[in-house]
Amino acid sequence: MIDIKNLKVSVEDKDIIKGLNLKINKGEVHAIMGPNGSGKSTLSYALSGKEGYEAEGEINYNGENILELNTEERAQKGIFLAFQYPIEIPGVFTNNFLRTSLNAVRKAKGEKELNAVEFLNLVKEKSQKLKIDKEMLSRPLNVGFSGGEKKRNEILQMSLLEPNFIIMDETDSGLDIDALKIVSNGVNAMRSPERSFLIITHYQRLLNYIKPDFVHVFSDGKIVESGDWKLALELENDGYAKFVS
Amino acid sequence: MNDLEKLKNHFEGFKNLEFINSESVQSRIDAFERFCQKGVPSLKQEHWKYSPLSKDLIHFQNLKFSLNQNKSFNDTHFEKFDHYRVLLKDGVLISDDIKEEGLEITKYKQDQFYEIEKNQILDFNNAFFTPGFEIRVDSNVNIKKPIVIYNYFSKDFDGNNINNKNYIYLDKNSKAEIYEKNIFEDEKDLFFTKNLDIELEQDANLVKYYLNSTNNNKTIYNFIRSKLKQNSEFEKFNFSHNVSSCRDEIIADLNGTNAFVSLNNIQHLSQKCFHEIKWEINHNEENTRSSQFVKSALHDDSVAAFQGKIFVDSKAQKTDGYQLSRALLLSDRSKFLSKPELEIYADDVKCSHGSSSGSIDQESIFYLRSRGINEPQAKCMMIEGFLAEVINKVKNEDVRNIFYNKLNEINNT
Ligand SMILES: Nc1ncnc2c1ncn2[C@@H]1O[C@H](COP(=O)(O)OP(=O)(O)OP(=O)(O)O)[C@@H](O)[C@H]1O
Ligand SMILES: [Mg+2]
Repeated sequence: MIDIKNLKVSVEDKDIIKGLNLKINKGEVHAIMGPNGSGKSTLSYALSGKEGYEAEGEINYNGENILELNTEERAQKGIFLAFQYPIEIPGVFTNNFLRTSLNAVRKAKGEKELNAVEFLNLVKEKSQKLKIDKEMLSRPLNVGFSGGEKKRNEILQMSLLEPNFIIMDETDSGLDIDALKIVSNGVNAMRSPERSFLIITHYQRLLNYIKPDFVHVFSDGKIVESGDWKLALELENDGYAKFVS
Repeated sequence: MNDLEKLKNHFEGFKNLEFINSESVQSRIDAFERFCQKGVPSLKQEHWKYSPLSKDLIHFQNLKFSLNQNKSFNDTHFEKFDHYRVLLKDGVLISDDIKEEGLEITKYKQDQFYEIEKNQILDFNNAFFTPGFEIRVDSNVNIKKPIVIYNYFSKDFDGNNINNKNYIYLDKNSKAEIYEKNIFEDEKDLFFTKNLDIELEQDANLVKYYLNSTNNNKTIYNFIRSKLKQNSEFEKFNFSHNVSSCRDEIIADLNGTNAFVSLNNIQHLSQKCFHEIKWEINHNEENTRSSQFVKSALHDDSVAAFQGKIFVDSKAQKTDGYQLSRALLLSDRSKFLSKPELEIYADDVKCSHGSSSGSIDQESIFYLRSRGINEPQAKCMMIEGFLAEVINKVKNEDVRNIFYNKLNEINNT
């Protein structure tokens, strides 16, 4: 699915990702844990092709190096980033945005675009599962949403777009206990042999709900240790001291 | 227009035209003399400093007046919703008078004109006007259907200057909604001035919408003077889209307690369009409120100017004056000029103003693109969202849809 080789990323001439290697096979869930400021969000932006993130090395996605593709092209190919801080966009209505996004992706995949009724039925079904109030969807995108509502809205978008490679950047932070379960169920429902996840988190708790196949410790722009889900437990108890020079 | 000898000859011919009624001749002569004394607006005059007119009027060296005898009107321009029609073709009122249920719409009948010292274009308008419409609403009457004013500029008009005077009077506790739009059939040069006087009696309520859309080589001056008595309300929404050169000027006098005026303008400009907004709100009595809201999205080499003034008289305690302007600069060549002005002589007032201009938010664009929306479309969504904030406040659903459709039309081209 995704094969990252010797990835280096700099922002405003500051080197942040410093030679990252990571291979995620189809159907796998990988978790990344690491101290604040170690470059986890930077990695997620670089994978999404954000402008201003100078990347070198290789990001192979289904056999194609996508380094030169722009953000929307990557999204249309099935890469999805659930943001750590979803942005508020006044004036752009959530429903409208969701439909535009869904149809852009469907069109790129050669699928039929959904009309208003088809879309509303689909969004109704998906948002009920995530316990998202439909009143929320008639408001401007993320404006006035609580922290948890914003995160749930990210997961709603994920479930609508049905991407193949999903990066979740601290989706669990800001969620209450019930919301964490709802979101985890949403994610688990999407797990499939054709879909891979990269989950960035600070807390082992999320990984109790979404069992990862691999856990990586990220420090100073690199993976410094990899293991199975027990590594997360170890980190929870001992912290990062052992891995950070 | 700066060759006064030429202009004088032009006026001599004009004032002898048949349609000019004898009562107004002397006022026209006086107004013309005032114009000649003051001269054409120039960038050196404070009042015209940011005005496209100060640059444009030089091009109109040979003014040509004309009356189009052809009264035909293309039906396709009519709005689909139920409304009262007021048709002005090349400055001439061609629709029939309306008299029903406390509403009266006729040709403009006033013949007394005031002077505003700094405003020589008003003098010009007073000298050269063709009578437009006059709308009167009786007391306690709520006009159920909106009135739609069509300013139609046809391709068979062979002059280059049209000046209209219009008048709206709402008697006590009456209510009306007016939607006005411009229709331009060609790209000929035209200098168009329009003066509208509005008088609202106690408890009257007027909402006015104006769509000034796509034109080329048109220099437009809109001047509205509104006087509000106690408890009356005047709300105005303008949508200016790709107007080549235009000044929208409004003076609102809040002359009775609890009077309220709300002025809103969105402008979407590209290429070399230049739109100027000049508003002056005079709080002359206690407990009066005003709101000014301007949003500008500026592409290419377009320029927008906004000058909003709040004046508060010493006896206008408890005034509430609000002003906000936001501009989106969509090219590094577009310009937004802003000059808020507060002149306050009372001590117990609440006045606030804010102005900002900047480019489109890149983080938002990234977010939209990360959801598969391509960059141009993401930008359109942002611009639309930015301007929609004002449109959302439009209460009349038909007009709101017209404005939204306009916005979509813009974004799809
Ligand atoms: N635009 C930028 N310009 C300069 N430095 C930046 C920029 N963006 C990020 N950085 C720096 O890069 C480093 C990594 O930031 P990043 O947001 O990727 O960390 P993170 O691992 O996601 O942290 P957290 O756990 O707090 O979310 C930080 O030191 C940050 O200050
Ligand atoms: Mg982060």
